[in-house]
Amino acid sequence: MIALDFSLRREAFSTHIKVTLDDRVTGVFGPSGAGKTTLLGILAGLVKPDAGRLVLDGECLLDTERGINLPLHQRRIGMVFQDSRLFPHLTVSRNLEYGYHLLTREQRRFSPAQIIQLLELGDLLGQRPHQLSGGQRQRVALGRALLSSPRLLLLDEPMASLDVRLKMQILPFMQRVRDEIDIPMLYVSHAIDEVLQLTSCMLVLEHGQVIGYGNFVDVMRDTQVLALARSLGMENVMQVELLSHHPAEGYSVALLGQHRLCIPLSAGEPGERITISTAASNVALARESVVGISIQNQLPGTLGQLRQVDHRMLVDVVIDSHTLVAEVSAKSIQDLALSPGMKVHALMKTQALHVYGQGV
Amino acid sequence: MAILQLSPEEIAALWLSAKVAFFCTWLILIPGVLLGWLLARKRFFGKALLDSLVHLPLVLPPVVPGFLLLLLFGSQGVLGKWLHEVLGISIAFTWMGAVVASAIMALPLMVRSARLAVSQVDHGLELAAQSLGAHPLRVFFTITLPLALPGILTGMVLAFSRSLGEFGATITFVGNIEGETRTLPLAIYTYTQIPGGDVPALRLVVLSLLLAFAALYFSNVMEQRALRRVGSRDDSA
Repeated sequence: MIALDFSLRREAFSTHIKVTLDDRVTGVFGPSGAGKTTLLGILAGLVKPDAGRLVLDGECLLDTERGINLPLHQRRIGMVFQDSRLFPHLTVSRNLEYGYHLLTREQRRFSPAQIIQLLELGDLLGQRPHQLSGGQRQRVALGRALLSSPRLLLLDEPMASLDVRLKMQILPFMQRVRDEIDIPMLYVSHAIDEVLQLTSCMLVLEHGQVIGYGNFVDVMRDTQVLALARSLGMENVMQVELLSHHPAEGYSVALLGQHRLCIPLSAGEPGERITISTAASNVALARESVVGISIQNQLPGTLGQLRQVDHRMLVDVVIDSHTLVAEVSAKSIQDLALSPGMKVHALMKTQALHVYGQGV
Repeated sequence: MAILQLSPEEIAALWLSAKVAFFCTWLILIPGVLLGWLLARKRFFGKALLDSLVHLPLVLPPVVPGFLLLLLFGSQGVLGKWLHEVLGISIAFTWMGAVVASAIMALPLMVRSARLAVSQVDHGLELAAQSLGAHPLRVFFTITLPLALPGILTGMVLAFSRSLGEFGATITFVGNIEGETRTLPLAIYTYTQIPGGDVPALRLVVLSLLLAFAALYFSNVMEQRALRRVGSRDDSA
């Protein structure tokens, strides 16, 4: 459990964060400048807040009132950085054991052999960091942090510098660490789908404040979080139930309420609940159901309020208990004579739906 | 071939120069690296002052530090008197004085190289090492120092070469005593002052050129080797 309460003011930035994290894996999500890096810095001991307290599993690491501020090397908080930070003059094996050697026998929770096997590092041990690919480096960095037996593992955008292909290669290892290593983790990212691959427990930051903490779907109901999601092009976040897969045709079917929805082919068992999202600009409106069109998803609903947000016209479409947000042009409002209460069909292309929580 | 034959005096000068340069380099290694590290990594009161002070010998006429050393370490100087009374040693007009004179002159080169080398070590690596539980002192010896080593080696070679070439401060502080303080440059100067000294002067000039070139060549080879060990900087992306 991490109890955190601090405030910090710098020239153009001020932050006050008070939160108690009790899930084992928490995703920290927020746009750049939200305070994610500051949060990590304070946890790790790189940044000293103006005032605050930090308690990790009952031990006070920081208390500005009592003058406590444990230095970085005594905190035993492991870090995996975006740029791996492997020691270039040491082999992979020496890198892995750097922190391990500094521990007493009692403090060691894993053996090098265990971690090497878990992260499949056996073939890399004799190499030097500059001989490794980006994904391999991050695996070594992860192993090195784990072998220092940290009480908390901070992952600071560990996949941000990798391309999609490499991300997909390293993700299973991250999931393996999540499942097999009993260390609390904080996974920081500005990419929400990355976070969702590892945990549904999320801490959402914006402008140096906590605007949401808890299960992703619950957090997303909050208007402030939703506003943030909208600004990032994720206005529509829906929980759907997987129904069936059609690999030959390249799509899966899911249920939104009682409506069938074609989504990109995804993994997961039928019956499983998954999260999908799409931007408001991907939702089109028609007054009647349209035939002879490639768009697979046509959901009947009722128009809610029209509103203008930063030069964009957004309209709610109420589909049973769900609300979709569609972006429409002023011209289509006129042409279709859109008004609240009207029956419409919301049209969404299969490929415009983004599936989270799946390692596909 | 007799023209290439070194006289005993010339051999003595060469040997003395090598001895002085060797002790000078080792004498300033630790202070030079510490000062370089301090200037590269720390912010403290009086940093600009210290920085200027260390670099002063680079821009002063060498005779000035030589004269100051003489005032300080001469038989009537504050430190000289003390050293003589307490420890019974006198360094003015001895080869040890020549080491001190060239150390003062070579220190800025050592500090500059060490500072550059340390500042090029990614601070993020040091933080990563600390996050793995390493005390800052351990981080310095296991991460910073090995990674700064090529630059420090360069500094050592520069200091060695500077010491081989030291003239002004040496002749002012410790004089030009054959077999004691007459280093290579002083011997060349002496030969140019006597009739028929051109040939031995030229021999020593060629020797100086060879020594300086060998030192620089050695430093390049060592640096390349050290860089290869950490992987060239270009492929770090």
